[in-house]
This record gives sequence, structure tokens and C-alpha cells, in this order.
Amino acid sequence: MDIYSQTAWLIPLFPLAAFLVLMALGRGYRRAGVFIGSVGSLAAFILSLIIVIDRLGANSVDYNYAFDWIVIGDYTLRIGFEVTNLTALMLTVVTLVSFLVNVYSAGYMKKDERITVYYGYVALFTFSMLGLVLSDNLLSLYIFWELVGVCSFLLIGFWFTLPKARAAAKKAFIVTRIGDAGLLLGILLLFWYMPDHALDFTRIQSVFAGHSGSIANGVTTLIALLIFAGAVGKSGQFPLHVWLPDAMEGPTPISALIHAATMVAAGVFLVARTYDIFLASAAAMETIAYIGGFTAIFAATIALAQNDIKRILAYSTVSQLGYMMMALGLGSLTGGIFHLFTHAFFKALLFLGAGSIIHAVHTQNIKEMGGLGSKMRLTAWTFGIGALALSGIPPLSGFWSKDLILTIALEQNPLLFAASLAAAFCTALYMSRLFFLVFTGKPTAAASKAKESPISMTVPLIVLAILAIVSGFVETPWNGWFGSWLSGEEEAAHGSSFAIIASILVGFLGIYTGWIWYGKESSRRSAVADKSPGLVKLLERGYFVDDLYAAVFVKPLKAMGDVLTFFDVHVIGGIVRIVGAAAISTGRTAARLQNGQVQTYSVTAVIGLVIIVAAIALRRFLS
Amino acid sequence: MNSMLPSYLTMAAILFCIGLYGALVKRNAIVVLLSLELMLNAVNLNLIAFSKYGVVPSLTGQIFSLFTITVAAAEAAIGVAILIALFRSRGTVNVDEFNKMRR
Amino acid sequence: MFNIAFTGEFVAFFVLSVIMICGAVLMISLEKVVHMVISMAAVFLGLAGMFVLLEAEFVAFVQVLIYAGAVSILMIFGIMMTKHQQEEREKAKPLHETLAAVGALSLFGILFYAIRTTTFPEPTPFQGSHDNTMAIGELLYTGYVIPFELLSVLLTVAFIGAIVLAKKGADE
Repeated sequence: MDIYSQTAWLIPLFPLAAFLVLMALGRGYRRAGVFIGSVGSLAAFILSLIIVIDRLGANSVDYNYAFDWIVIGDYTLRIGFEVTNLTALMLTVVTLVSFLVNVYSAGYMKKDERITVYYGYVALFTFSMLGLVLSDNLLSLYIFWELVGVCSFLLIGFWFTLPKARAAAKKAFIVTRIGDAGLLLGILLLFWYMPDHALDFTRIQSVFAGHSGSIANGVTTLIALLIFAGAVGKSGQFPLHVWLPDAMEGPTPISALIHAATMVAAGVFLVARTYDIFLASAAAMETIAYIGGFTAIFAATIALAQNDIKRILAYSTVSQLGYMMMALGLGSLTGGIFHLFTHAFFKALLFLGAGSIIHAVHTQNIKEMGGLGSKMRLTAWTFGIGALALSGIPPLSGFWSKDLILTIALEQNPLLFAASLAAAFCTALYMSRLFFLVFTGKPTAAASKAKESPISMTVPLIVLAILAIVSGFVETPWNGWFGSWLSGEEEAAHGSSFAIIASILVGFLGIYTGWIWYGKESSRRSAVADKSPGLVKLLERGYFVDDLYAAVFVKPLKAMGDVLTFFDVHVIGGIVRIVGAAAISTGRTAARLQNGQVQTYSVTAVIGLVIIVAAIALRRFLS
Repeated sequence: MNSMLPSYLTMAAILFCIGLYGALVKRNAIVVLLSLELMLNAVNLNLIAFSKYGVVPSLTGQIFSLFTITVAAAEAAIGVAILIALFRSRGTVNVDEFNKMRR
Repeated sequence: MFNIAFTGEFVAFFVLSVIMICGAVLMISLEKVVHMVISMAAVFLGLAGMFVLLEAEFVAFVQVLIYAGAVSILMIFGIMMTKHQQEEREKAKPLHETLAAVGALSLFGILFYAIRTTTFPEPTPFQGSHDNTMAIGELLYTGYVIPFELLSVLLTVAFIGAIVLAKKGADE
């Protein structure tokens, strides 16, 4: 039954081959480029699907293949790939979303000059992400982790002629780098303390799960927190969340693929993959839970006041990632991964829907939209499904996963339960605000000319909408199949009727509030903003976190950089120029000596002789 | 007994330096040749002086100076021949116009 | 300052050196090339005298023959063959001349300093042979016969070379 799992290493190779072919083709082959990129991800998806179906049966065994990569003295570094239920699930999600985004981009990016390059980047990203998922040890995971970061950088800055896109790309790269540095330190610490310096997940699991005491508690906590720092950077958790909203400068399909469904989930995946380290440290778990919970409510409130459709969704992503982290921190691997699974579908759906809207009205400001519901029926319906799923309305997928997290929070930590409940309310509120402002009401000037998007863009929407509806049924309060499949243990189906009722109520309350505030024609537009402009301003600017960072970190660093630049230009550069000038003038003088006159040469020789003899004599004289 | 050796050596040094200066400064190639001869003569003087006042006086110094004189004669002959050839081709014996080495 | 007794050798040395230095300086400073050659001949002759003082009669004789005779005549031939404008047109090259003078003077300074500070060991008395020419001849044909023969080859080569060099241009 492992036959299919053994071929898992082929999966990343399809996008890699697509990437190489696309890079070799160049910009000329636009249609071929689209075709190659899509086929590459489709092949990867089909193989992943086969593997995951193959593994659906009970007690499927983890498959691991590794070979010696580096042998240094007694130490052998082995790399390879590993297929577990978790990685199989991630493979499917990544390849599916990647394939749909490929199809979608064929319409969305149709007019872009560099569409082949775009498809190349997407293929490279898909390859890296799959490599990250399949890695069986932390080192190769880190390599792919960075590769994913590079692709994110390239794709955010894809329209590099726009200054904002450039700035956003740099910001994303630098901010995630802070987390990555933590991750690297964590890996190094782990390398140092692990028996035999092993870095593969199997050994990590056996060492930490056994509580053998071979690694001190403090060190465990430190390693866990450092690894979590990497996850914070990648998954946009507070306080490193600032790059994610700015990353929306990239093409919308990229936001759906990288900054909603896959890459940002890599942080969650990383924590899940090294979960045993975290389980061994209660302090680290608590930190994750609180950071996740705080991020959830923090980002949800910011999303309430944003006017850019993609920024709303970006903050929503940050908030939902906070949910996942919180679930992991509260000890529920199932909760985190389940929410990751459902979120990947409905958030990709929302982003692609947003892309469809932007494609139609050429603006991202929701205040300039309105009444699109009648013009773009398909988009409106699918977007609505996504919004409902995100708001946690039963029986859509988001309800089940959010409910699971809320249940766990209720059991473990009432404070976090309250926070996540409040975040759920905000989620429902900002999604209804978004939906009502965009799709209902009177069409604005920009919206009146809108048309439904082409079929290549709507088909992925429909597929994702279906998945957003059904994907939640794998784990319901009365059916713990997903959790037991994922963790390999029989989990009791747990359900708390209080949590269910509370989450449903909060969801509907949020939507109702949204309807009151934004849905009715009379109170539309800036009704709330008029009542408390200060609060709105605070939320609009994201609690001024960016401004704070600019004042505290960016400006001093820039000033230091200016000083260094000054030093470099004037001192080092000056020395270089002086040396150069000296060499040139020496050369000129020497060239003047070469006048072809033997006597000049002789005089030089004689003077040289005198100097040498005098030096020797002087040395004797002095000593 | 006070040796005369330093006096002869000083005399040779004076001659050598005058010859050197002439070889370095004079434009006329014939004068340069003459200055070279002067330098060689100074060396001869040294050889002969050491042959008498050296640590182990012997005739070897004189023999050497004979060889030097022979070589100097050959050098003078070749030098003049080269000068004549040069004069035919360039029409001058001014050293500072012989600057073909520049290129 | 030299602490030298006024022996006959010293007096003769003094006179000869005055003649030679005068000749050398004149050679450098005279304007006409022929005059230069004549003053040079005086230096050669003075040097021959010094050789006599140093009990090297044969070398002194050779010196007179070759330098005062052959080389001087050769130079005069050279002057005639190159149809000299007799006078040196001095273009001013002050830097070059100063540098050359400084170089030559400092070289002399160093040499003089070295000569003055060296203590020469007391020589064993020189057994001036009874017949200087005889002794040289014997040495030449015994101990130094190979260098002697080599020199004769060199002379032949130089002789042929000089003819070839001087004749080449004349054909054209």
C-alpha cells in the first residue's frame, strides 16, 4: 500500500520541470507558458490526490526515504522525504490551490507582458512549498522555507515598476527574515543538543515525545520559541504581521496562493511538524496560545476599518492564522490543521473572488464599489459562500473548524475563549460589511460597467466554493475522523453545545450588525466612522504598529545606514580614489622616465645603486 | 709603514666618478665612450694597486688588468664601429636622439 | 691628514694625480671633441706613470701603447669619420645633470667613506720580480693560458665585428 507514497518525491518535480521549461522558453510563448504551468501543477495534484486517497484507509504507515547527503567525520547528514498523513494532506491542499490559481491566472494575468515569468515563479513556488512539506528533516525544510520566501518576494514585487510593490516586497522579505533568523538559531540549537546531531523529524519525535530528559527543559523551551519565531514571521503573527497586508501589492492570485492558502500556513505546518518539541515545553505552548489568540482578535479589529478589499482579507488571514496558532498552543493539533485545511479553501476562494471583482472594476477600494451583485452573479454567490464560511455559519466548513477551536479554548482557557469569540464576532462583522458594501446597494460609476469574469476565472471559484461548503464535514463534533486520521490516535468526538450555540449566535450577530450598519441604504457608508472617528482612524492604521516600527526600528537603522554610507562614500571611497590617483600619477611619472634615452635610465640606475649602498652603509652605521 | 693604498684607491674613485658623470651627462657619443674608458682605467688602477699593496701581493692583479685593457680595446673598437654605423643611418652622434627604445 | 711621509713615491704620486685629475676634468669640460681626446691621452699617460710607481712596468708599457696610442687614435678616427660639428650643442637638461652629479658625488662619498674607514691589513712586502715582463709572460703561458686564448678569440671576433658593422652601412 506504500507504492504511491514511495513516488511522492515525484510531486515537487512536476512544478520544478515546469519552472525550468518556462524559464528556458522566455517571454514569447504566452499560451504555452500558461499551459505548461497548469499541467505541471495538475500532474502534481493528481499524484497527491492518489496518495491521499491511498492513505485514507486506517493505520497507514508513514513512509520515509533518506540517503546520506553530507558525511563529516562521524557525523552523517541524511536528507530525504517523508509521507505522513499530515504531509499528504498538505500536498493535496497545496497542489489543488496551486492548480486552481494557475487556471485562474490564465484569465487574470492575460494581458500582462511577463505572464510566462509569472507562471515560472508560481511553478517555482509550488515546487518549494511541496519540498517544504515533504522534507523529512529540519535542514532541508529550512532550505525550502527560504526558497518559499524568495518566491514570495519575487511575486509580491512582480509589478516591480510600482514603487509600492517594491517596498512591499522588501518589507515582506526583511520582516520574515527576522523570524527566519530565529528559526535558524533554533535549528542550530537543536543540532547542538540532539543526540547524534540528528535533525530528522522521526528522531526529534522520539527524543522529545519520550521525555527522556536528555535535553533540559529550559533548552527545550528556547528551541521551541525560536522555531516559533520562524512561524511567527512566516505566518504573520503579531508582532511580525506587518508584512502580510502590504504583500497585497502582488497580483491577486498570488495573494490567494501564497498569502492565504499555502505559504503563510507554512508556519502553522512547521509548528505542527515539530509539535513534539512544543508539547515538551508548557511555557512555549502557552506563549503560542496567547500570541495566536491576541493576533486573532487584534487583526480582526483592524480588518473592521480597512477600505481596501485585499487588505481586509489580508488582516482576516492574519486573524485566522492566529486561530490556528492558538489551537496548536492549546494542544490541539487537529484543531490547528483542520482550520488550516478549511481556511485554505475559503480564503483562496475569497481572494480569487476579490480578484474577479478587481478585474471587473479596476479598483480595490470598497467604497468605490457597490451593487455588483446583479452584474456579477457567479462571483457574488461564490464570494458569499466564502464569506459565510469564514464567518462560521453552519453548515459551511469554517463553522466546523472554528467551532472545534472554540470548544478547545472553552475547555482550557476561558480568557482565550472570550477573545476568540470576540474575534469571531469581528470576523462576521467585517465580512458582512465587505459583502454588503461591494455587492448590494446602488452601482457606483466604476461598478456600473462591470462584467462577469471569463470562465477560466469563474470555474476555480465554483470548485473552491464547493470545497468551502463540504470540506468541513471531515471533522464534526460527532465525528472525529479527521483528527484520528491525522494524529493516528482515536480521539473522542468532543462537542460542547455551549460552544456551538455561542459561535452560531456570534456569527449571526456579527452579520446582523453588519446588515444594520452597512446593509441598509439609509445608514450606508461612513455611518460608523462619523460616530467615533478616532477609533476608526486607530483601526484603519492598524493600531499604528507600522508607524511605531518605522519610528523605533526603521528610522534609527536608516540613520545608521546613512552614516555608514557617508563613511563608505567619503572615507573608504576617498582612500580608494587616492590610491587610484597615486597609482595613476606613479604610472605617469614612470612613463615619463621611459623616454628611450639610455642616459636617463643610467642616471636612475646609479641613483638606485647609491640609495641601496647608502641604506646598507647606514644600517651598519646605526647598529 | 704607512701604506699608499688608500691614496691610490681614492684616486681611482675620483677617476671613476668623473667617468661616470661624463657617461651620464655628455651628449656626444664619442665622449661617452671616452668616459667609459676612463672608468675602466680607474678599475685598472685599483687592480694594480692591490697587486702591490694587497694582503697577498702577486702578479695576478697585473694579469687581470692586462685582460681588462684588452677587453677595453675591443670594446672601443666595437663602440666606434657602432657609432659609425649609427651615424650613417641617422646622421648624428647625439645620444639623446637615439631614443628608439621608447617604442 | 693622510699621515703620509714625504717619500719619493708620494711626491711622484701627487704630481701624477694632479695631472690626471686635471686631464679628466678638462675632458669633461672642454668644448671641442678633439681637445677632449687629447686631455684624455694625458690621463692615460699619467696612469701609465702610476703603474710604474706600482712596479708594474709591463702594464704601464701596454697602457701607453694601447690607450695613449691605439684607443686615442681610434677615437680621433671616429671623430673624423662622423664628420663632427666639433662643438657640443648643449641643450639644457638641468634636472638630468643635477641628478647625475648628485649620483656621482654621493657614490664617491660612499667610496671615500669606505676607503677611509677600512683598516687595510699590513701587506707582506711585495717581491717585485727582477724582470716584470718575464714573470708576466711566464704566468700568462702557464696559469692563465686558457683565458689568454679566449681573449685572443674575443679580439678576433671584435675585429671582424667592427669591420662588419662599419662596412654594412657603407654598401648602401
